[in-house]
Amino acid sequence: MATDERLRRTMMFVPGNNPAMVKDAGIYGADSIMFDLEDAVSLAEKDAARYLVYEALRTVDYGEAELVVRVNGLDTPFFENDIKMMVKANVDVIRLPKTESAEMINQLVAAVEQAEKEFGREIGSTNVMAAIESAMGVVNAYEIASASDRMIGIALSAEDYTTDMKTHRYPDGQELLYARNVILHAARAAGIAAFDTVFTNMDDEAGFYRETELIHQLGFDGKSLVNPRQIEMVNKVYQPSEKEILNAQNVIEAIEEARQKGSGVISMNGQMVDRPVVLRAQRVMRLAQAANLVDEEGNYLGK
Amino acid sequence: MEEVRDLFLRIPRVKKEWQTFLTQMGINDFGANEILAISEVIGIFVDGKLIATGSLAGNVLKYIAASDEAGNSASLFNRIVSELINRLRQRGVFHAFVFTKPQYVKSFEHVGFVTLAQSTNGAVLEVGKPAIQDFLAQISKPKPSDKQIAAIVMNANPFTLGHRYLVEKAARENDLVYVFVVSENQALFSSQERLALVRVGTHDLKNVVVLSGGDYMVSYATFPAYFIKSPDQVIDYQTTLDARIFGNWIGPNLGITKRYLGSEPLSHTTNIYNQALQRELSGQIDVEIVDRKRQPDGNVYSARMVRQMIAEQNLEATKLLVPPSTYSFIKEHQTVLLERIKKGQKIDGN
Amino acid sequence: MEIKQTALAGTLESSDLQVMITNGNDGIQIELESDVKKQFGAQIKATITAVLQSYDIEQANVRVVDKGALDMVIKARTIAAVQRALDIADQPTWEVL
Repeated sequence: MATDERLRRTMMFVPGNNPAMVKDAGIYGADSIMFDLEDAVSLAEKDAARYLVYEALRTVDYGEAELVVRVNGLDTPFFENDIKMMVKANVDVIRLPKTESAEMINQLVAAVEQAEKEFGREIGSTNVMAAIESAMGVVNAYEIASASDRMIGIALSAEDYTTDMKTHRYPDGQELLYARNVILHAARAAGIAAFDTVFTNMDDEAGFYRETELIHQLGFDGKSLVNPRQIEMVNKVYQPSEKEILNAQNVIEAIEEARQKGSGVISMNGQMVDRPVVLRAQRVMRLAQAANLVDEEGNYLGK
Repeated sequence: MEEVRDLFLRIPRVKKEWQTFLTQMGINDFGANEILAISEVIGIFVDGKLIATGSLAGNVLKYIAASDEAGNSASLFNRIVSELINRLRQRGVFHAFVFTKPQYVKSFEHVGFVTLAQSTNGAVLEVGKPAIQDFLAQISKPKPSDKQIAAIVMNANPFTLGHRYLVEKAARENDLVYVFVVSENQALFSSQERLALVRVGTHDLKNVVVLSGGDYMVSYATFPAYFIKSPDQVIDYQTTLDARIFGNWIGPNLGITKRYLGSEPLSHTTNIYNQALQRELSGQIDVEIVDRKRQPDGNVYSARMVRQMIAEQNLEATKLLVPPSTYSFIKEHQTVLLERIKKGQKIDGN
Repeated sequence: MEIKQTALAGTLESSDLQVMITNGNDGIQIELESDVKKQFGAQIKATITAVLQSYDIEQANVRVVDKGALDMVIKARTIAAVQRALDIADQPTWEVL
């Protein structure tokens, strides 16, 4: 588990062979940018997309965003060169599509490690994540999520998953309920992030909010996105309430007080504050800062 | 999101959607001769709606249209052209043509196309390599002593005594004669066969150079014309473009001052073609229409008659119409030629 | 290195660049079509030339249609075209990256 508890509300897909989108990917404020070498790139352009993403990762300033590349699958002739070039380009995270077992993550990690050695990159500095796109992947979600220290998250990819399940996507998302819960549990048990699938109907804003509110309620870290317009919408759903912020500030204050006293125990209102509460408070404050709801000192600014 | 998709015209619904879109964009001609050659059609869709399309027929880009409903027709156009060029690349083809309305010439030039010829009704442009300069560069240039240089463009399907007569006359009257054999694979005799027969049949004429017409001297009737509104203008547009490609590029590059044509008293289109050549090349190249040589019985030496005789398995009769080299080729390849005719190879036409 | 085959990479879409490389016999010849040729023509050609030189290519005809590509895009497209022209599209040349 390589979790660093950064915010991962939005992971924006960027077609890897589209220079206009690749160059501008950083300007929309996505928490993660996922350059796609897989489905968004036709077979005849796999080589060209790889060079484009490589040059972009080497030269474009994407600010604070976590940089992710979706490589082609393990069973494709493109996989090996994808891994080597992206590791050489110092990508933050490699996303493996169609993951069905821990063994596949082991193969991915072995390829990544070899590339790190070959190109003199610090061993272990490249993180990985898995996309779950089949019934088998859902069934094996926990072994996948816990397969490696490099894992930072797992994502549901609903298009292929619903096809595998002999259904398709519906507006109410009933067909994804089981997979969402399994993936979320696997991620939480393994201590990594959980990403929900994309929502492609750009005209259905109400549907997008409904789905985002659902996955927020379930506990997902965030959502994969295909359109930059959706970033602000997700962030809105994820922004904490005033009550949450004020409570989180109290917890943070209690931590600070304990630190100053040199006490090993954090207490608030006469109760011991345990670790999940601390983590949640820290996360709420990060969300509040990202949404500009607090100033640098943590003072609540209101909406 | 915009996405590029293949359009399979064999599905009637798809074909209808495609035609409806093109009709809205002002293209109405979906004649079999234009459609049959198409090997690939692509479309750009947004929310399931077709907003741009383009096709490939060999290395010719056809039926290109982009809707300006969202004010982005220029970018849609570029995307279509780009995708078609990339699809040709995947087949190892790096050279493409487009025939289009004059108002779109700039758009194509903007993405790297070069205009070969233009008239009031249409233009032809090419992109990539080998280009017309490469075609011309591989032709051996005239010697300084060659003052009078002539050209003949012929189909020679197959090479007859009539063709021979025309070449002999030109060879007599000039220092150098370029004979271009039209490449066209719809003919009974293949391009390579026709080229070889002309070469052998003129071998003794030392100042004659026989060459393939390549991509630049083709049958003008194959120029796409689906975007031309009136059928009357089609033949004028086709012949004018053909003449201008010759006048803009072939003639000046090889120092050609004269072009010989065989008269076609019975063919209306050939007459229009001959007139177009005389009109377009006037002041630059002297176009001489030579009366066809006649047999002792008064009939002309006609390649079409030769093909008819092959179909009727009357080989002896062809002997009177063709040089010995063509005759022995026909005799040796009688079975193959007959098979081609049986398979539906047309033997009429020029 | 010798150009083995004609090759093309990139597209004609905005922010992209289309590069076609063919064999040449007169050094590196670059023909450029671009809206910003006046301002950036020299820079675009320099980037392309540098990529060709990194492959030790001394003879090549390059035809470029630029649609406002950044330097990194010019580099990426030229590398892709060269790899294809050398018939090693699936074997990246790590030293030039």
